[in-house]
Amino acid sequence: MSILLGADARVLIVGITGKFGTFSVKDLAQSQTKVVAGVATGRGGQAIEGVPVFSSVAAAMRETHANAALVYVPAVVALDAVLETIEAGCPLIAYPGDGLPVLDAMEMRAAALDHGAHLVGPNSPGLISPGKAKLGFMPSFCYAPGPIGVISRSGSLSYEACFRLSSAGLGQSSVIGIGGDPVRGVNAAEAIALFHDDPETRAIIYLGEIGGSEEYALAEYAKRPDAKPAAALLVGRTAPAGKKMGHAAAMIGSYAEAWAAKVEALDRAGVVIARNLDGLAAAAASALARAMKPAA
Amino acid sequence: MLVTEAQGKALLRSAAIATPSSQELRSLDEARACRIALPVAVKAQVAAGGRGKAGGIRKASSAAELESAFDAIMGMRFAGEAPSSVLVESWLDIDRELYLAVAIDSRVGGFNVLYSPRGGVNIEDGPPPLSYPVGLARNFRAHAFRALLEPVESDVKVRERVISTARRLLEIAQANECTTVEINPLVVAKGGALIAADAKIVLDEAAVFRKAATASAIAASRAKAEQDIRRCEEANLMLVWLDGEIGLISGGAGMTMAAMDAIDGAGAQPACFLDVSGNPTPAGFGLAFDLLDRAPNVKGILVSMFGGGLHTDRVAKTLVELLARRTSAKPVTLRLNGTRSDLATTILREAGRQNHATLESAVADIVKRVAGAQS
Repeated sequence: MSILLGADARVLIVGITGKFGTFSVKDLAQSQTKVVAGVATGRGGQAIEGVPVFSSVAAAMRETHANAALVYVPAVVALDAVLETIEAGCPLIAYPGDGLPVLDAMEMRAAALDHGAHLVGPNSPGLISPGKAKLGFMPSFCYAPGPIGVISRSGSLSYEACFRLSSAGLGQSSVIGIGGDPVRGVNAAEAIALFHDDPETRAIIYLGEIGGSEEYALAEYAKRPDAKPAAALLVGRTAPAGKKMGHAAAMIGSYAEAWAAKVEALDRAGVVIARNLDGLAAAAASALARAMKPAA
Repeated sequence: MLVTEAQGKALLRSAAIATPSSQELRSLDEARACRIALPVAVKAQVAAGGRGKAGGIRKASSAAELESAFDAIMGMRFAGEAPSSVLVESWLDIDRELYLAVAIDSRVGGFNVLYSPRGGVNIEDGPPPLSYPVGLARNFRAHAFRALLEPVESDVKVRERVISTARRLLEIAQANECTTVEINPLVVAKGGALIAADAKIVLDEAAVFRKAATASAIAASRAKAEQDIRRCEEANLMLVWLDGEIGLISGGAGMTMAAMDAIDGAGAQPACFLDVSGNPTPAGFGLAFDLLDRAPNVKGILVSMFGGGLHTDRVAKTLVELLARRTSAKPVTLRLNGTRSDLATTILREAGRQNHATLESAVADIVKRVAGAQS
């Protein structure tokens, strides 16, 4: 098992003729992921690297039975492309792009919820279930299959963190990038619920940062008596208040958004805290050790 | 991006929310000709918080006081920023101060309406405001908000006016693509009318492609920004200056923060957040080194890149050429890991430079070299 994305994934790439789209056709193929269709307006009937191109998502879905979509279009047309994909009945969509207006992210999220679809992004590398399939552009060499579910607000941090986990023998069931923007599709609480229900996931690792309030969802979950053990690394301990640290949502506006308040809440809820990146593998191993202990 | 109070209040008035009678002044001549009835509040117009506590809001009861307040405020700096103008407003007769805001909230997945019956400068010291999670603006329901307000706001007239003002704030946020529309204080005047005594409005910069007002606000702020910040924005690098001594060049927002924290963990402090992942080219790295070599507080430079899509051998070539031409004597430590890092290590070794295998060993190295140079 894994969350949302399994070995049966049949991926459709919207914007397949663009730079990211053509890169992904080859990259996903090297990651054992089946790319069954592409969509590019006005380019229906062509093929890219042997993948048939359609002029609409509905046509691509009808012909190829795709069950996951990777949407690579610029922010100006992203809402239209994601709504088309959701309304064509695709149950899983990743939109990795950044610079998306918040109002558009809100509409995407609402449409996904209305249709019972899962949207990953915006401003995220996507989702990977190591050894099974990949729906995004993260570097595959960083990942290995295993029992840890990883949730991350940052792409770059998730690559290096997972590379360190994999090198330490701590593989991952799925790694989901919930993104660096303030409004997202699958959020921390929803990602946690998915990992909670996934029998293969034994422990949850959360890679968070300053700004916003997503980390409190993990603190609330960790207090549940049936919670899976969790570890967290939050970055931005040395970030000043009131300054945007790259991500749209990474800014301390109030005390609750600062590093210390979040870490205190997580620590009190029983989440194992890695103070720095070099402590992450040990924190993950200790959470996993708790999961392995037979119930008393 | 945060706009000035005067710009924010113009948006409030566009939705028929009352603001005090006011005039925006840019020169002493305009201050002398000001027609607002005394006494008045004289307020610095800056896109930065905390101006009240810094002395940027003064009361003037005479024409002479107004002139001297104008002069004093225009000479001040708020978080490094010079006021663009001064807003003069009629002094309000206040019965009570409320807090009302709509803001994007990540856990709500959209707009949250926030209300407190006791607003004003010390809002953060009191209990947290009441929160009504709305999500999409069109899902606002007066009856749902009323049910939440009833236990905290007993004045029915105020309550109903707060409800209709909240709807208008959502309409402003939706129409102008704002992530925050906050009124603190929302004044209950003698007689019961609600008047917005301040306005804090944050525009969503990502909407720049379809909002002309946002585009001009960004252009104006860029013109005022420090030259370093402007050069970085134009080159697609992200820079925030910090107070420490270790200049950090890194890739990706999360990893850059992780590296900042690692420097802190090694007993030193980062001099900046500098993310070059948007432009990891000779031009991007060249600008980064130029800025850090010139900054007097930077005593040493750490380049830490983890290559995912990025090919670190290309970065290594870029760095070798750049460092060969560089004249600064500040120590430089390199750490290129990930995609093609074996090649990167070879390229650096042939140029007589070490490639550190981990972030931690690179951080320890630069911290040691900077401490050695200073002792």
